[in-house]
Amino acid sequence: MVRLSGSEAARIAGAVCSGLDPDRPWRAQLVELSGDLGPGERAVAIPYRAPRSATGEDMVELVLHGSPFVVGRVLERCVAAGARPAAPGEFTRRAVANGKLDLLQAEAVRDLVAAETRFEYQSAQRQLSGELSRELGRVRGELIATLAQLEAGLDFAAQGADPDPDIAMRCLARVGQEIDRLVSGGERRELARGGVRVVLVGAPNAGKSTLFNRLLCRPRAIVADAPGTTRDVLEATTEIDGVKTVLVDTAGLGVGGGEVEREGVARAGAALAEAHVAVVLWPADTAQGPPQLALPPGGRRLLVRSKADLAPGGGEGWLRVSARTGEGFAELEARLASVVRELVGHEDGPVAVGARHRRALERARAELAAVDTGTPELAAEGVRWALAALEELVGEVLTEDVLDEVFATFCIGK
Amino acid sequence: MRADVVVVGAGHAGCEAAIAAARMGARVIVVTLSRARVGHMPCNPAVGGVGKGHLVAETDALGGVQGWAADRAGLQFKTLNRSRGPAVWGPRAQCDKNRYSQLLRGLLLGIHGVELIEAEVVGLESDDGRVVAVRLGDGRRVEARAVIVTTGTFLDGVLHTGPERRAGGREDEPASRGLGNSLAEHGLELRRFKTGTPPRLHRDSLDYSRLTEEQGDDEPRPFSWRTRAVRNRCLCWSARTLEVVQRIIEDNLHRSPLFSGQIVGIGPRYCPSIEDKVVRFPHHREHTLFIEPEGLDGESMYVNGLATSLPRDVQERVVRSVPGLERAEFLRYGYAVEYDVVAPGQVSAALTARAVPGLWLAGQVLGTSGYEEAAGLGLLAGINAALALRGEAPLVVGRDEGYLGVLVDDVVHVEHREPYRMLTSRAEHRLLLGIDSARERLMARGVELGLVPKRAFHVEHLRWDARERARQELERTRLNPSTETRDAVRRACRVEITAPTTWAGVLRRTDVDPALAAAGLEALSDLPSEDRLVVVSRVRYAGYLERQRKEVARVRRLREAAIPEAFEPRALPGLSREVLEALERHRPRSLGEAARLPGVTPAAVAILAGWLSRRREV
Repeated sequence: MVRLSGSEAARIAGAVCSGLDPDRPWRAQLVELSGDLGPGERAVAIPYRAPRSATGEDMVELVLHGSPFVVGRVLERCVAAGARPAAPGEFTRRAVANGKLDLLQAEAVRDLVAAETRFEYQSAQRQLSGELSRELGRVRGELIATLAQLEAGLDFAAQGADPDPDIAMRCLARVGQEIDRLVSGGERRELARGGVRVVLVGAPNAGKSTLFNRLLCRPRAIVADAPGTTRDVLEATTEIDGVKTVLVDTAGLGVGGGEVEREGVARAGAALAEAHVAVVLWPADTAQGPPQLALPPGGRRLLVRSKADLAPGGGEGWLRVSARTGEGFAELEARLASVVRELVGHEDGPVAVGARHRRALERARAELAAVDTGTPELAAEGVRWALAALEELVGEVLTEDVLDEVFATFCIGK
Repeated sequence: MRADVVVVGAGHAGCEAAIAAARMGARVIVVTLSRARVGHMPCNPAVGGVGKGHLVAETDALGGVQGWAADRAGLQFKTLNRSRGPAVWGPRAQCDKNRYSQLLRGLLLGIHGVELIEAEVVGLESDDGRVVAVRLGDGRRVEARAVIVTTGTFLDGVLHTGPERRAGGREDEPASRGLGNSLAEHGLELRRFKTGTPPRLHRDSLDYSRLTEEQGDDEPRPFSWRTRAVRNRCLCWSARTLEVVQRIIEDNLHRSPLFSGQIVGIGPRYCPSIEDKVVRFPHHREHTLFIEPEGLDGESMYVNGLATSLPRDVQERVVRSVPGLERAEFLRYGYAVEYDVVAPGQVSAALTARAVPGLWLAGQVLGTSGYEEAAGLGLLAGINAALALRGEAPLVVGRDEGYLGVLVDDVVHVEHREPYRMLTSRAEHRLLLGIDSARERLMARGVELGLVPKRAFHVEHLRWDARERARQELERTRLNPSTETRDAVRRACRVEITAPTTWAGVLRRTDVDPALAAAGLEALSDLPSEDRLVVVSRVRYAGYLERQRKEVARVRRLREAAIPEAFEPRALPGLSREVLEALERHRPRSLGEAARLPGVTPAAVAILAGWLSRRREV
């Protein structure tokens, strides 16, 4: 599909095909490509008239069959007729300039296009549908209501509309919680976008690579029976329960020896430091006790007694798993999925928020925390600054809104 | 007849304009429908309040006369928000209406260069698009190089009391007919606004034993630098309506011109009529009313809070349902007045009509409401007309320099659909614009313009220096927690210190009472009591003030970011057709100007700003 947006869209489309009737917008029309592309080369054209189009401008969409030659020629002819190739995101930017999308929704379009997993896709969808804008709108609304109360107390002192500082304080505390919720949602979203890092650790030949391959459903690491086969840290991205997961297979710990081994062990330590989930393998074919490992705070761990078919028993909390018999794998996968899910939250949970939003929200939060509700004129400034931080996300004028709010709730004489 | 400046209307705006222009050397002719009604207060006989008081302070700092007149006509002085910081203090004076009017008339008649004539202005005359004269109802013409229109609520005014409607500008004064048409013919778009006023009751018909007394401040504070001291001369009272009022009004809503569709004009939200209030806030059980004498010797009592245009019999029932007012006699019934205003956006920041060179507009005719807003605008219009005649650039006060700046900027740029009244929440830099700093911000300009004598400025300057010195001392003086020092701190501020700090550090603690500290601190003992409070506040607010100053600087940089002459809006991708048209039509020269054009969205401003900053990098 070739998309044209701008006041000249119809004219330029007309230079490329014949039979287009721009006075019948929003209807698919059969047209014939002209010049050296015709005769007989047909396409479907849909004209749009401003402001009812994706960008808010006049638009034409030409649906062609995918022949690279035809598409290329059509693009050339459009440019020759005066069109300009769109810069990245330009259609969306015009949509924002024309008020069809707000900034948050524009970001959602970007995220939608880049979504690799179901989680990201659904998050972006929800943001595009305006869910985030509405959430922020609610937060903003509450702040404006509090601000209005404070302002009314100041501007209408004669009428005795003194605001109760406790009410203001409770309101701000509530808003603070809302913001916290959105921010934690944001952290989870970033986690989901970067991928949950699941690191497999354990002694050499504990079965990490087998597990790695099994979780990926394709062999990647070299699997052999001698310890020290995986000489490197391997990463592979997969999807667990719809969430992007990065699996990391580390070298065996505790293997002395050559340069390569030492390097591998160092990298394993580094990988562990960045892990969100550590899967610790304790093979049943050795006499050694369970491995003791230091994990980063907040990290989750899954304890796996690998090669369980070789020996009975194990330890409290260790899941018995065997690659040969298949014992415990289903349970392992289920537990892994649930841990990943727990970290990332559900798509239908609180709305998730991106990095830029999180920064603005955290600024707003900091402003609110500093508000002195005992001094209304200073409290009003603090709330205004918090609102300004939110305003950056969506972009609105402040002062008239406050006034509107005041007069919805206060009865003021001259 | 010929003059440099003709001022149409002698209300609050007209008087300020005429007096300022005359003091700046212009020959001024003021045309009024009634000599007796110069400087009349048709509604609340009071000047000031929160927001409005800020305007009075600034008008006074520039050399205007409203503050001076209010001081002399004042019957009761009260500063609202006294317990809060100076940024939100609202000085207010209840005035003797007749005395106020006499004072302004005396000024007009006494100033060299002003002639007052009683006549109706029925039209403007222009030559080649420029205003050259006004035409009077009796056929005379007055030629002028500048015309300032300050007609208040008179343009095609219609008064409503219940079903009665008649032409009129106010109470018993006729409306002005032809001028509205003439303005329209000259290309000005007019709009219909409305405002209202409460009934006036006879002083002797009220039962004061059932009303609550309201006193003025213990230390009444004058508005003007010209005034040494003022005193309270009378009491006011307050009353509360009962629930029954709601029923009375609801039963009679169909007879209210507001709700029957008889009145078309849009009224202010902040000054709603009693019927408005009842309809919009049905859950409010009672409304507070203030009963204020209109004059020291007169019999008329103004009922603040009861603006209405309900029929007379309903007004009587409403008033008499209030405890204490059961036997009230009406001297005047409340009424609403519908009038023409010049739609927002047609005036420049200097208050000239964009479409009509030589014409200035000020006051309620620009869609504002209130004597203070009118006086401020009138003063600026008068100053700017005089400056224009000298060929000099106009005085434009910025939003970060004063409430006058906020007022003008809002009147010029914002699409208000109702009468505009000043509120502190309109000022984004409120903490920097308190009345304590009005003179520091604006008096120097008053001196430059010749409206404020140097001597007075000098006296004020000494005061500001003393405040600043005291403030710095508080910031710098180290306090070590010796027994002596701890005692001193305890005596002055009622708190304990345990670590080394400064007086400023102590004052910024939330457990310190600023008023007590102001009274107790030695470093401040040489200052007048108000200044002590100001210094304490400035110390306490220091962090916030600094932050606001930074914002002001940032906004100014953005606003002043220059757009080059050769800029082609179409070269920027992502601008909508509406924005492109606005940019091409107005050719703004700075980002701030562009942002203020109607139709330019925040997203468009961001695109422009981005482009400008990238260009600077190149």
